[in-house]
Amino acid sequence: MGEFLNFISNNLANFWTYTGFANATVGHLIMILVGLVFIYLAVAKEFEPMLLIPIGFGMLIGNIPFNMEAGLKVGIYEEGSVLNILYQGVTSGWYPPLIFLGIGAMTDFSALISNPKLMLVGAAAQFGIFGAYMIALALGFDPMQAGAIGIIGGADGPTAIFLSSKLAPNLMGAIAVSAYSYMALVPVIQPPIMRWLTTKNERLIRMQPPRVVSHTEKVMFPIIGLLLTCFLVPSGLPLLGMVFFGNLLKESGVTRRLAETARGPLIDVITILLGLTVCASTQASEFLTFDSVLIFMLGALSFVIATASGVLFVKFFNLILPKNKKINPLIGNAGVSAVPDAARISLVVGLEYDPTNYLLMHAMGPNVAGVIGSAVAAGILLGFLM
Amino acid sequence: MNKVKIGMLLSLALMLGLTSCGEKEVNTKLVLNEVLIENSSNFQDDYGVHSAWIEIFNKSYTSADLAGYLLKMSNQPGDTATYFIPKGDVLTVVRPRQHSLFWADGQPNRGTFHTNFVMNGATATWVGLYDSGKKLVDQVVIPASALKADQSYARVSDAATEWEIKGASTNNYVTPSTNNKTLEGNAKMEKFQNHDSVGIGMAITAMSVVFTGLILLYICFRAIGKASVSVSRKRAMKTKDVTSMEEAKEKKLGEAPGEVFAAIALALHEHNDMHDVEDTVLTITRVKRSYSPWSSKIYTLRETPKK
Repeated sequence: MGEFLNFISNNLANFWTYTGFANATVGHLIMILVGLVFIYLAVAKEFEPMLLIPIGFGMLIGNIPFNMEAGLKVGIYEEGSVLNILYQGVTSGWYPPLIFLGIGAMTDFSALISNPKLMLVGAAAQFGIFGAYMIALALGFDPMQAGAIGIIGGADGPTAIFLSSKLAPNLMGAIAVSAYSYMALVPVIQPPIMRWLTTKNERLIRMQPPRVVSHTEKVMFPIIGLLLTCFLVPSGLPLLGMVFFGNLLKESGVTRRLAETARGPLIDVITILLGLTVCASTQASEFLTFDSVLIFMLGALSFVIATASGVLFVKFFNLILPKNKKINPLIGNAGVSAVPDAARISLVVGLEYDPTNYLLMHAMGPNVAGVIGSAVAAGILLGFLM
Repeated sequence: MNKVKIGMLLSLALMLGLTSCGEKEVNTKLVLNEVLIENSSNFQDDYGVHSAWIEIFNKSYTSADLAGYLLKMSNQPGDTATYFIPKGDVLTVVRPRQHSLFWADGQPNRGTFHTNFVMNGATATWVGLYDSGKKLVDQVVIPASALKADQSYARVSDAATEWEIKGASTNNYVTPSTNNKTLEGNAKMEKFQNHDSVGIGMAITAMSVVFTGLILLYICFRAIGKASVSVSRKRAMKTKDVTSMEEAKEKKLGEAPGEVFAAIALALHEHNDMHDVEDTVLTITRVKRSYSPWSSKIYTLRETPKK
């Protein structure tokens, strides 16, 4: 009997070594707390719930402590585990292009086609990427890591994940969380910069209403867009190819079912898998480092630089534009590709100063140009640094 | 008739394109990369024997299978030895940018990677690689007595066009089953670190490319937009019986903003909506669906078997 009890107690003691309680570290607890904060912000404050719920819960999944020596095949970094299999979409880089397919199928480029000069605003905002790249270099990151960190300034989660999985896989967790967090915080980061860099008169500028764009123009846009941008930057093909393909599905008018799948069920499935697995990869041992702190700081800076460069570019552009074609600099912030949040902020800030000046459609131009611009920038970084 | 002609032309172009692609792939994927003839103390096989070897490199970014390929060797015209690379061995698949090594030891019973011929460096040696369709993929001639013991004849770097003798100096070593030119650092990174440590060069270059791409798009769509406005203006002129272009421009015909169309659409909707007040009235209308074989139920049903 005593021997049997001994066997039971040994078994229980052995089992204890497998539990999360026995393997928990302070790092795990901190990361679980961060995950809970994200879930709270998403549920209670409705801060980008589509992003923050998978991010927060992914952090919980990724930080359940377990005995790493046991070979249980449960961790995201353990080959053959379910999470590891799902994570391959991130490491091999095929989730982000599929997200871009959905983005293309849901984006209306008419605002941009009707006023194509807004493309330049989208290009100017990409300076956030290269500003952050320069600061990251100054802080001691190597060029590949700096490129991966800089892309946070593109305000494009899938692009950031795609590029970091190629250039700096070890920093991907921090970069992805940083990119998505700041995308959720766009309503907090951008308005003060927009107000600070513009005068009251500039904020009141009324822009000409966009003209109606014909179906032919809408069909031509993805085709010409793909050919021009990818001939220039072939390394951007996975992202640009998919975004323009998705857009052609939408605009051709003859592939409604495919477009609906791309912008509906497909993008939802991939968003769930991408958000969850990327954030499950933020294991405390990998994530809680000084580099992550620096990445978060650089991420914030890149958003600030991107917003400021977009607004300042519009002000500069206005100097050469005729009086009746001036652009309201409040849409300059929309050059970052957080679609459609950045454009919505242009609208909200614009309405504060003139309740009848609706800037949303105008801001959608640079906003979608930003999507193209950040994908082109990612392609350039990939081409130069890989 | 025209459509048939266009269809035939397109099919022909497609066939030609596919044919040329196919040939190109066969010719370029696998290359002979390095050959060592006299092996006295160099790389040894799994049996611990030093034999001559031939290295093949897959220069593509997809796997290539050597099964069914032929390795041929000749020391004099008219006397060619042929080794058929056996099928059914998974190891014959060469991964992207990787190498495969064959021992020219005349011992094919020792495995897939042991050829049935031996090599002799006294005279010039020709080595050829043929695909399973007996098409020549790559060939090399090793000059007579050019190589000393443990020296190899190799491409300067993997798949490069120029060949050189390796093993003659300490900096230029023999590289069986590995890259012909060992990369001892990340050249691209070093270039950036040396010439652009601040990142300003990258910022200027990359921003120029981003701007160039979007400026090109801008120019294109400015022209397309103008053409589109011109077409709609002509249509508007026709409907409004305006003949003078100046008048049309003055009246901004064909340039109506989206808001106007939205207002018209809303007004039409309001006008046609019969049940905006009496919303409890149920109207049953026949819905017409256009036919598509993709959604047709007929094609998903099995036909009754007939005798």
